[in-house]
Amino acid sequence: MAGIQIERVTKRYGAVAAVRDLSLEINDREFVTLLGPSGCGKSTVLGMIAGLVRPDAGRVLVAGVPCVGPNPEQVALVFQDGGLFPWRTALDNVTFGLELRGVPAAKRREIALGLLEPMGLRGFERKYPRELSGGMRQLVAIARALALDTPILLMDEPFGALDEQTRLLMGEWLVGIRRRARKAVVFVTHSLQEAIALSDRIVVMTARPGRIKDVLDVTLPFPRDLNAPEVTELRAKLWEQVREESLKAMGTLS
Amino acid sequence: MTVLAWRLGLLVGFFAVWEAVAAPLNPLFYIRPSSLPGALLGMWRVPDLPPLGEHVWLTLQEIAGAYVLAVAAGLWLGFLLGLRRTVGRIYEPLLAALYAVPSVVWYPSLMLFFGLGSASKIAFGVLLGFFPIVLSVLAGIRQVPATLVTVAQSMGARPFTVFRKVMLPAMASTMVGGLRAGLALSVVGVLVSKNLGSRAGIGYVINYAYGLMMTREYAVLALLAAAAVLALDTAGALVEARVKRWAG
Repeated sequence: MAGIQIERVTKRYGAVAAVRDLSLEINDREFVTLLGPSGCGKSTVLGMIAGLVRPDAGRVLVAGVPCVGPNPEQVALVFQDGGLFPWRTALDNVTFGLELRGVPAAKRREIALGLLEPMGLRGFERKYPRELSGGMRQLVAIARALALDTPILLMDEPFGALDEQTRLLMGEWLVGIRRRARKAVVFVTHSLQEAIALSDRIVVMTARPGRIKDVLDVTLPFPRDLNAPEVTELRAKLWEQVREESLKAMGTLS
Repeated sequence: MTVLAWRLGLLVGFFAVWEAVAAPLNPLFYIRPSSLPGALLGMWRVPDLPPLGEHVWLTLQEIAGAYVLAVAAGLWLGFLLGLRRTVGRIYEPLLAALYAVPSVVWYPSLMLFFGLGSASKIAFGVLLGFFPIVLSVLAGIRQVPATLVTVAQSMGARPFTVFRKVMLPAMASTMVGGLRAGLALSVVGVLVSKNLGSRAGIGYVINYAYGLMMTREYAVLALLAAAAVLALDTAGALVEARVKRWAG
Protein backbone atom coordinates (compact mmCIF):
# COMPACT_ATOMS: atom_id res chain seq x y z
CA MET A 1 0.00 0.00 0.00
CA ALA A 2 1.43 3.32 -1.01
CA GLY A 3 0.58 6.95 -0.28
CA ILE A 4 -0.86 8.26 2.94
CA GLN A 5 -3.85 7.05 4.94
CA ILE A 6 -5.14 9.31 7.67
CA GLU A 7 -7.61 7.35 9.79
CA ARG A 8 -9.96 9.21 12.13
CA VAL A 9 -7.32 11.33 13.81
CA THR A 10 -8.04 13.71 16.66
CA LYS A 11 -5.59 16.16 18.24
CA ARG A 12 -6.18 18.43 21.20
CA TYR A 13 -3.95 21.16 22.55
CA GLY A 14 -5.14 21.57 26.11
CA ALA A 15 -8.86 22.24 25.95
CA VAL A 16 -8.76 23.18 22.26
CA ALA A 17 -9.40 20.49 19.69
CA ALA A 18 -7.29 21.33 16.63
CA VAL A 19 -8.45 18.35 14.56
CA ARG A 20 -11.39 16.06 15.24
CA ASP A 21 -12.09 12.69 13.70
CA LEU A 22 -10.48 13.48 10.36
CA SER A 23 -9.91 10.85 7.69
CA LEU A 24 -8.23 11.36 4.35
CA GLU A 25 -6.45 9.22 1.83
CA ILE A 26 -3.74 10.64 -0.40
CA ASN A 27 -2.56 8.57 -3.31
CA ASP A 28 0.90 8.12 -4.65
CA ARG A 29 1.96 11.04 -6.88
CA GLU A 30 -1.11 13.05 -6.04
CA PHE A 31 -1.04 16.78 -5.32
CA VAL A 32 -3.51 17.51 -2.52
CA THR A 33 -4.09 20.96 -1.09
CA LEU A 34 -5.51 21.56 2.37
CA LEU A 35 -7.47 24.79 2.33
CA GLY A 36 -9.20 26.38 5.27
CA PRO A 37 -9.35 29.28 7.71
CA SER A 38 -6.47 30.11 10.05
CA GLY A 39 -6.13 27.76 12.98
CA CYS A 40 -8.23 25.01 11.41
CA GLY A 41 -5.59 22.38 12.06
CA LYS A 42 -4.02 22.25 8.57
CA SER A 43 -0.50 22.41 9.98
CA THR A 44 -1.41 19.86 12.63
CA VAL A 45 -2.41 17.41 9.91
CA LEU A 46 0.92 17.97 8.15
CA GLY A 47 2.73 17.52 11.46
CA MET A 48 1.00 14.19 11.96
CA ILE A 49 2.01 12.94 8.51
CA ALA A 50 5.58 14.08 9.21
CA GLY A 51 5.57 12.21 12.51
CA LEU A 52 6.18 15.40 14.49
CA VAL A 53 2.71 15.49 16.07
CA ARG A 54 1.21 12.45 17.76
CA PRO A 55 -2.55 12.15 17.29
CA ASP A 56 -4.56 11.66 20.49
CA ALA A 57 -6.76 9.21 18.66
CA GLY A 58 -6.66 7.52 15.26
CA ARG A 59 -3.55 6.86 13.22
CA VAL A 60 -1.62 7.86 10.12
CA LEU A 61 -0.12 5.31 7.74
CA VAL A 62 2.70 6.31 5.44
CA ALA A 63 3.44 3.77 2.69
CA GLY A 64 1.29 1.36 4.69
CA VAL A 65 3.31 1.69 7.91
CA PRO A 66 1.88 3.40 11.01
CA CYS A 67 3.64 6.67 11.69
CA VAL A 68 5.38 6.79 15.07
CA GLY A 69 8.04 9.45 14.51
CA PRO A 70 9.86 11.41 11.82
CA ASN A 71 10.41 9.28 8.75
CA PRO A 72 12.97 11.08 6.56
CA GLU A 73 13.17 8.18 4.12
CA GLN A 74 9.52 8.68 3.15
CA VAL A 75 8.53 12.22 4.08
CA ALA A 76 10.22 15.60 3.59
CA LEU A 77 8.80 18.83 4.94
CA VAL A 78 9.04 22.45 3.78
CA PHE A 79 8.38 24.77 6.69
CA GLN A 80 6.17 27.82 6.79
CA ASP A 81 8.93 30.42 7.12
CA GLY A 82 11.56 28.32 5.37
CA GLY A 83 13.30 27.38 8.59
CA LEU A 84 16.76 27.70 7.09
CA PHE A 85 19.76 27.48 9.40
CA PRO A 86 21.15 31.05 9.37
CA TRP A 87 24.68 29.87 10.12
CA ARG A 88 24.79 27.59 7.09
CA THR A 89 25.28 28.69 3.51
CA ALA A 90 22.59 27.91 0.93
CA LEU A 91 24.56 24.83 -0.12
CA ASP A 92 25.08 23.59 3.44
CA ASN A 93 21.41 24.07 4.18
CA VAL A 94 20.48 21.90 1.23
CA THR A 95 22.96 19.19 2.25
CA PHE A 96 21.81 19.05 5.90
CA GLY A 97 19.54 16.03 5.55
CA LEU A 98 22.12 14.19 3.45
CA GLU A 99 24.72 14.88 6.13
CA LEU A 100 22.45 13.20 8.67
CA ARG A 101 22.18 10.23 6.34
CA GLY A 102 25.95 9.96 6.12
CA VAL A 103 26.19 10.70 2.39
CA PRO A 104 29.84 11.52 1.50
CA ALA A 105 30.67 15.23 1.10
CA ALA A 106 31.38 15.17 -2.65
CA LYS A 107 28.10 13.39 -3.37
CA ARG A 108 26.18 15.79 -1.11
CA ARG A 109 27.58 18.76 -2.99
CA GLU A 110 26.73 17.22 -6.34
CA ILE A 111 23.12 16.56 -5.33
CA ALA A 112 22.68 20.04 -3.84
CA LEU A 113 24.14 21.86 -6.84
CA GLY A 114 21.98 19.71 -9.11
CA LEU A 115 18.92 21.07 -7.29
CA LEU A 116 20.07 24.69 -6.95
CA GLU A 117 21.16 25.04 -10.57
CA PRO A 118 17.71 24.73 -12.22
CA MET A 119 16.33 27.08 -9.55
CA GLY A 120 18.65 29.76 -10.88
CA LEU A 121 20.61 29.73 -7.65
CA ARG A 122 23.94 28.77 -9.16
CA GLY A 123 26.44 31.28 -7.86
CA PHE A 124 24.43 31.82 -4.68
CA GLU A 125 25.38 28.52 -3.04
CA ARG A 126 27.95 30.17 -0.77
CA LYS A 127 25.58 32.89 0.42
CA TYR A 128 24.05 32.85 3.87
CA PRO A 129 20.24 33.01 4.14
CA ARG A 130 20.25 36.68 5.19
CA GLU A 131 22.06 37.51 1.94
CA LEU A 132 19.26 35.98 -0.15
CA SER A 133 15.87 37.41 -1.09
CA GLY A 134 12.71 35.94 0.42
CA GLY A 135 11.94 33.98 -2.74
CA MET A 136 15.47 32.60 -2.94
CA ARG A 137 15.35 31.51 0.68
CA GLN A 138 12.15 29.66 0.04
CA LEU A 139 13.69 27.94 -2.99
CA VAL A 140 16.63 26.84 -0.84
CA ALA A 141 14.18 25.47 1.73
CA ILE A 142 12.40 23.52 -1.01
CA ALA A 143 15.72 22.26 -2.36
CA ARG A 144 16.61 21.07 1.14
CA ALA A 145 13.43 19.00 1.24
CA LEU A 146 13.87 17.72 -2.34
CA ALA A 147 17.44 16.64 -1.55
CA LEU A 148 16.03 13.89 0.65
CA ASP A 149 14.41 12.47 -2.50
CA THR A 150 11.35 11.16 -0.67
CA PRO A 151 8.15 9.92 -2.30
CA ILE A 152 6.16 12.37 -0.17
CA LEU A 153 6.64 16.13 0.10
CA LEU A 154 4.76 18.21 2.67
CA MET A 155 4.59 21.98 2.20
CA ASP A 156 3.23 24.23 4.92
CA GLU A 157 2.30 27.56 3.32
CA PRO A 158 5.68 27.62 1.60
CA PHE A 159 4.98 30.84 -0.28
CA GLY A 160 2.98 32.54 2.46
CA ALA A 161 5.56 35.21 3.21
CA LEU A 162 6.18 36.16 -0.42
CA ASP A 163 4.68 38.97 -2.45
CA GLU A 164 1.95 38.21 -4.99
CA GLN A 165 4.19 38.18 -8.10
CA THR A 166 6.90 35.98 -6.58
CA ARG A 167 4.17 33.72 -5.31
CA LEU A 168 2.69 33.19 -8.76
CA LEU A 169 6.12 32.57 -10.27
CA MET A 170 6.98 30.07 -7.55
CA GLY A 171 3.67 28.32 -8.19
CA GLU A 172 4.44 27.98 -11.91
CA TRP A 173 7.87 26.68 -11.04
CA LEU A 174 6.42 24.14 -8.61
CA VAL A 175 4.04 22.83 -11.28
CA GLY A 176 7.06 22.20 -13.50
CA ILE A 177 9.04 20.48 -10.75
CA ARG A 178 6.21 18.26 -9.79
CA ARG A 179 5.54 17.03 -13.32
CA ARG A 180 9.13 15.88 -13.47
CA ALA A 181 9.51 14.52 -9.94
CA ARG A 182 6.12 12.79 -9.61
CA LYS A 183 5.88 12.95 -5.86
CA ALA A 184 2.85 12.94 -3.64
CA VAL A 185 2.57 16.51 -2.38
CA VAL A 186 0.44 17.73 0.51
CA PHE A 187 0.23 21.49 0.30
CA VAL A 188 -1.22 23.84 2.89
CA THR A 189 -2.35 27.31 1.83
CA HIS A 190 -4.84 30.13 2.37
CA SER A 191 -4.71 31.08 -1.28
CA LEU A 192 -7.55 29.91 -3.55
CA GLN A 193 -5.49 30.88 -6.57
CA GLU A 194 -2.58 28.74 -5.48
CA ALA A 195 -4.83 25.80 -4.64
CA ILE A 196 -6.49 25.88 -8.07
CA ALA A 197 -3.25 26.36 -9.98
CA LEU A 198 -1.45 23.43 -8.36
CA SER A 199 -3.80 20.72 -7.08
CA ASP A 200 -5.24 17.45 -8.28
CA ARG A 201 -7.56 17.61 -5.31
CA ILE A 202 -8.53 20.39 -2.95
CA VAL A 203 -9.61 19.49 0.58
CA VAL A 204 -11.62 22.26 2.23
CA MET A 205 -11.39 22.10 6.00
CA THR A 206 -13.87 23.41 8.55
CA ALA A 207 -13.13 25.96 11.25
CA ARG A 208 -11.69 24.53 14.46
CA PRO A 209 -11.90 21.70 15.30
CA GLY A 210 -10.69 20.86 11.80
CA ARG A 211 -12.71 18.36 9.83
CA ILE A 212 -13.21 17.86 6.13
CA LYS A 213 -15.96 20.03 4.70
CA ASP A 214 -15.61 19.13 1.06
CA VAL A 215 -13.23 17.55 -1.42
CA LEU A 216 -12.99 18.92 -4.96
CA ASP A 217 -11.24 17.23 -7.84
CA VAL A 218 -9.49 19.58 -10.22
CA THR A 219 -9.13 17.87 -13.56
CA LEU A 220 -7.97 20.82 -15.67
CA PRO A 221 -4.74 20.12 -17.58
CA PHE A 222 -1.41 21.75 -16.65
CA PRO A 223 -0.25 24.44 -17.09
CA ARG A 224 -3.53 25.95 -15.99
CA ASP A 225 -4.97 29.12 -17.40
CA LEU A 226 -6.20 30.92 -14.32
CA ASN A 227 -8.58 33.05 -16.39
CA ALA A 228 -10.44 30.09 -17.89
CA PRO A 229 -14.19 30.02 -17.15
CA GLU A 230 -13.92 26.66 -15.28
CA VAL A 231 -11.36 28.20 -12.97
CA THR A 232 -13.56 31.18 -12.27
CA GLU A 233 -16.44 28.89 -11.45
CA LEU A 234 -14.29 26.70 -9.22
CA ARG A 235 -12.89 29.72 -7.42
CA ALA A 236 -16.37 31.03 -6.71
CA LYS A 237 -17.42 27.66 -5.32
CA LEU A 238 -14.32 27.37 -3.16
CA TRP A 239 -14.68 30.93 -1.91
CA GLU A 240 -18.23 30.30 -0.81
CA GLN A 241 -17.13 27.35 1.33
CA VAL A 242 -13.99 28.97 2.70
CA ARG A 243 -15.89 32.16 3.44
CA GLU A 244 -18.43 30.29 5.50
CA GLU A 245 -15.73 28.59 7.57
CA SER A 246 -13.66 31.75 7.91
CA LEU A 247 -16.70 33.56 9.31
CA LYS A 248 -17.19 30.75 11.81
CA ALA A 249 -13.52 30.94 12.76
CA MET A 250 -13.82 34.69 13.29
CA GLY A 251 -16.99 34.13 15.29
CA THR A 252 -15.20 31.81 17.68
CA LEU A 253 -12.48 34.40 18.09
CA SER A 254 -14.79 37.25 19.08
CA MET B 1 40.12 53.18 8.32
CA THR B 2 38.91 56.55 9.63
CA VAL B 3 37.90 54.82 12.85
CA LEU B 4 41.39 53.38 13.23
CA ALA B 5 42.96 56.79 12.56
CA TRP B 6 40.72 58.38 15.18
CA ARG B 7 41.62 55.72 17.72
CA LEU B 8 45.34 56.23 17.13
CA GLY B 9 44.83 59.97 17.32
CA LEU B 10 43.02 59.62 20.65
CA LEU B 11 45.81 57.45 22.03
CA VAL B 12 48.49 59.91 20.94
CA GLY B 13 46.43 62.81 22.32
CA PHE B 14 46.03 60.99 25.63
CA PHE B 15 49.78 60.57 26.06
CA ALA B 16 50.43 64.15 24.90
CA VAL B 17 48.04 65.60 27.49
CA TRP B 18 49.51 63.34 30.13
CA GLU B 19 53.01 64.50 29.23
CA ALA B 20 52.03 68.16 29.31
CA VAL B 21 50.26 67.86 32.65
CA ALA B 22 52.96 65.77 34.33
CA ALA B 23 56.00 67.67 33.05
CA PRO B 24 56.06 70.51 35.63
CA LEU B 25 55.07 68.29 38.58
CA ASN B 26 57.06 66.26 41.10
CA PRO B 27 58.31 63.13 39.31
CA LEU B 28 57.97 61.14 42.52
CA PHE B 29 54.17 61.25 42.16
CA TYR B 30 53.57 62.28 38.56
CA ILE B 31 55.15 60.18 35.85
CA ARG B 32 55.86 61.53 32.39
CA PRO B 33 55.00 58.99 29.71
CA SER B 34 58.23 59.80 27.85
CA SER B 35 60.13 58.29 30.77
CA LEU B 36 58.26 55.00 30.56
CA PRO B 37 60.14 53.23 27.73
CA GLY B 38 63.41 53.79 29.60
CA ALA B 39 61.83 52.47 32.76
CA LEU B 40 60.53 49.42 30.93
CA LEU B 41 63.99 48.58 29.58
CA GLY B 42 65.60 49.16 32.95
CA MET B 43 62.90 47.25 34.82
CA TRP B 44 64.53 43.85 34.52
CA ARG B 45 67.65 45.18 36.20
CA VAL B 46 66.16 47.17 39.09
CA PRO B 47 67.71 45.43 42.10
CA ASP B 48 64.95 46.49 44.49
CA LEU B 49 62.18 44.79 42.48
CA PRO B 50 61.37 41.11 42.76
CA PRO B 51 62.42 39.12 39.64
CA LEU B 52 59.75 40.15 37.14
CA GLY B 53 59.85 37.18 34.77
CA GLU B 54 58.98 34.72 37.50
CA HIS B 55 56.05 36.79 38.70
CA VAL B 56 54.64 37.35 35.23
CA TRP B 57 54.88 33.62 34.52
CA LEU B 58 53.15 32.78 37.81
CA THR B 59 50.32 35.22 37.06
CA LEU B 60 49.85 33.82 33.56
CA GLN B 61 49.60 30.32 35.00
CA GLU B 62 47.06 31.46 37.57
CA ILE B 63 44.97 33.22 34.92
CA ALA B 64 45.05 30.14 32.70
CA GLY B 65 44.06 27.92 35.63
CA ALA B 66 41.27 30.25 36.71
CA TYR B 67 39.88 30.60 33.20
CA VAL B 68 39.94 26.89 32.42
CA LEU B 69 38.06 26.18 35.65
CA ALA B 70 35.61 29.03 35.08
CA VAL B 71 34.86 27.76 31.56
CA ALA B 72 34.45 24.17 32.71
CA ALA B 73 32.18 25.09 35.62
CA GLY B 74 30.25 27.70 33.61
CA LEU B 75 29.55 25.43 30.63
CA TRP B 76 28.68 22.46 32.86
CA LEU B 77 26.25 24.35 35.07
CA GLY B 78 24.86 26.37 32.14
CA PHE B 79 23.95 23.30 30.13
CA LEU B 80 22.68 21.47 33.21
CA LEU B 81 20.33 24.32 34.13
CA GLY B 82 19.45 25.20 30.54
CA LEU B 83 18.67 21.73 29.26
CA ARG B 84 16.84 20.46 32.34
CA ARG B 85 14.07 22.98 32.57
CA THR B 86 12.89 22.02 36.05
CA VAL B 87 16.36 22.24 37.57
CA GLY B 88 16.84 25.52 35.73
CA ARG B 89 13.61 27.02 37.03
CA ILE B 90 14.72 26.22 40.59
CA TYR B 91 18.28 27.54 40.41
CA GLU B 92 18.30 30.31 37.82
CA PRO B 93 16.91 33.11 40.01
CA LEU B 94 19.43 32.15 42.68
CA LEU B 95 22.23 32.47 40.16
CA ALA B 96 21.03 35.87 38.96
CA ALA B 97 20.79 37.09 42.57
CA LEU B 98 24.32 35.90 43.34
CA TYR B 99 25.60 37.64 40.22
CA ALA B 100 24.21 40.93 41.50
CA VAL B 101 26.34 40.74 44.67
CA PRO B 102 29.68 42.56 44.24
CA SER B 103 32.15 39.68 44.09
CA VAL B 104 34.72 41.45 46.28
CA VAL B 105 32.64 40.61 49.34
CA TRP B 106 33.52 36.93 48.82
CA TYR B 107 37.23 37.56 48.72
CA PRO B 108 37.91 37.32 52.49
CA SER B 109 36.15 33.97 52.72
CA LEU B 110 38.10 32.69 49.72
CA MET B 111 41.31 33.68 51.51
CA LEU B 112 40.13 31.83 54.59
CA PHE B 113 39.33 28.71 52.57
CA PHE B 114 42.29 28.74 50.21
CA GLY B 115 45.00 30.65 52.07
CA LEU B 116 47.22 33.42 50.76
CA GLY B 117 48.81 31.43 47.92
CA SER B 118 47.80 30.88 44.31
CA ALA B 119 44.72 28.89 45.22
CA SER B 120 42.74 31.83 46.55
CA LYS B 121 43.66 34.01 43.53
CA ILE B 122 42.60 31.27 41.16
CA ALA B 123 39.39 30.81 43.12
CA PHE B 124 38.62 34.51 42.83
CA GLY B 125 39.39 34.45 39.11
CA VAL B 126 37.05 31.48 38.70
CA LEU B 127 34.31 33.19 40.69
CA LEU B 128 34.44 36.33 38.55
CA GLY B 129 34.83 34.55 35.23
CA PHE B 130 32.17 31.93 35.92
CA PHE B 131 29.06 34.14 35.99
CA PRO B 132 29.12 35.66 32.51
CA ILE B 133 29.83 32.21 31.07
CA VAL B 134 27.00 30.37 32.79
CA LEU B 135 24.55 33.22 32.11
CA SER B 136 25.51 33.35 28.43
CA VAL B 137 24.93 29.61 28.09
CA LEU B 138 21.49 30.00 29.65
CA ALA B 139 20.65 32.97 27.41
CA GLY B 140 22.01 31.07 24.39
CA ILE B 141 19.85 28.03 25.02
CA ARG B 142 16.76 30.22 25.29
CA GLN B 143 17.62 31.79 21.92
CA VAL B 144 17.64 28.52 19.98
CA PRO B 145 14.64 28.81 17.61
CA ALA B 146 12.22 25.92 18.23
CA THR B 147 11.47 25.72 14.49
CA LEU B 148 15.07 24.89 13.66
CA VAL B 149 15.07 22.07 16.20
CA THR B 150 11.88 20.74 14.58
CA VAL B 151 13.46 21.05 11.11
CA ALA B 152 16.38 18.87 12.22
CA GLN B 153 14.09 16.36 13.94
CA SER B 154 11.91 16.08 10.86
CA MET B 155 15.02 15.06 8.94
CA GLY B 156 15.77 12.33 11.44
CA ALA B 157 18.27 14.05 13.76
CA ARG B 158 18.66 12.36 17.16
CA PRO B 159 18.96 14.46 20.35
CA PHE B 160 22.75 14.59 20.35
CA THR B 161 22.84 15.57 16.67
CA VAL B 162 20.26 18.30 17.36
CA PHE B 163 22.50 19.54 20.15
CA ARG B 164 25.64 19.53 18.02
CA LYS B 165 24.26 20.73 14.70
CA VAL B 166 21.47 23.07 15.78
CA MET B 167 21.74 24.18 19.40
CA LEU B 168 25.49 24.81 19.55
CA PRO B 169 25.64 26.85 16.31
CA ALA B 170 22.46 28.76 17.20
CA MET B 171 23.85 29.78 20.58
CA ALA B 172 27.50 30.11 19.54
CA SER B 173 27.69 33.88 19.22
CA THR B 174 26.00 34.51 22.57
CA MET B 175 28.20 31.90 24.20
CA VAL B 176 31.41 33.27 22.70
CA GLY B 177 30.44 36.70 24.00
CA GLY B 178 30.08 35.21 27.49
CA LEU B 179 33.36 33.33 27.20
CA ARG B 180 35.06 36.57 26.19
CA ALA B 181 33.58 38.52 29.11
CA GLY B 182 34.52 35.61 31.39
CA LEU B 183 38.14 35.76 30.24
CA ALA B 184 38.39 39.47 30.97
CA LEU B 185 36.85 38.98 34.41
CA SER B 186 39.06 35.99 35.23
CA VAL B 187 42.09 38.16 34.50
CA VAL B 188 40.67 40.93 36.66
CA GLY B 189 39.94 38.45 39.45
CA VAL B 190 43.48 37.10 39.50
CA LEU B 191 45.09 40.55 39.27
CA VAL B 192 42.83 42.22 41.81
CA SER B 193 43.34 39.49 44.36
CA LYS B 194 47.08 40.06 43.94
CA ASN B 195 46.51 43.53 45.26
CA LEU B 196 44.23 42.47 48.07
CA GLY B 197 46.93 40.41 49.71
CA SER B 198 49.55 38.18 48.23
CA ARG B 199 53.24 37.47 48.04
CA ALA B 200 53.81 36.63 44.42
CA GLY B 201 52.68 37.47 40.90
CA ILE B 202 52.39 40.57 38.78
CA GLY B 203 49.78 42.19 41.03
CA TYR B 204 52.12 41.75 43.94
CA VAL B 205 54.98 43.39 42.03
CA ILE B 206 52.69 46.28 41.11
CA ASN B 207 51.80 46.74 44.77
CA TYR B 208 55.42 46.39 45.79
CA ALA B 209 56.58 49.08 43.39
CA TYR B 210 53.74 51.33 44.51
CA GLY B 211 54.63 50.74 48.17
CA LEU B 212 58.26 51.70 47.61
CA MET B 213 57.27 54.88 45.77
CA MET B 214 58.82 53.50 42.58
CA THR B 215 56.13 55.34 40.70
CA ARG B 216 57.75 54.96 37.30
CA GLU B 217 57.98 51.20 37.60
CA TYR B 218 54.48 51.07 38.99
CA ALA B 219 53.11 52.96 36.00
CA VAL B 220 54.96 50.73 33.53
CA LEU B 221 53.61 47.57 35.18
CA ALA B 222 50.07 48.86 35.34
CA LEU B 223 50.16 49.83 31.66
CA LEU B 224 51.65 46.44 30.76
CA ALA B 225 48.87 44.65 32.59
CA ALA B 226 46.30 46.81 30.80
CA ALA B 227 47.92 46.10 27.44
CA ALA B 228 47.89 42.35 28.16
CA VAL B 229 44.17 42.38 29.01
CA LEU B 230 43.49 44.44 25.89
CA ALA B 231 45.42 41.97 23.73
CA LEU B 232 43.49 39.03 25.20
CA ASP B 233 40.19 40.79 24.65
CA THR B 234 41.09 41.69 21.06
CA ALA B 235 41.88 38.04 20.41
CA GLY B 236 38.47 37.20 21.90
CA ALA B 237 36.79 39.77 19.65
CA LEU B 238 38.39 38.21 16.58
CA VAL B 239 37.10 34.77 17.53
CA GLU B 240 33.65 36.27 18.15
CA ALA B 241 33.61 37.97 14.75
CA ARG B 242 34.56 34.71 13.07
CA VAL B 243 31.75 32.85 14.82
CA LYS B 244 29.25 35.56 13.88
CA ARG B 245 30.28 35.70 10.22
CA TRP B 246 26.88 34.46 9.07
CA ALA B 247 25.04 37.15 11.01
CA GLY B 248 26.89 39.91 9.16
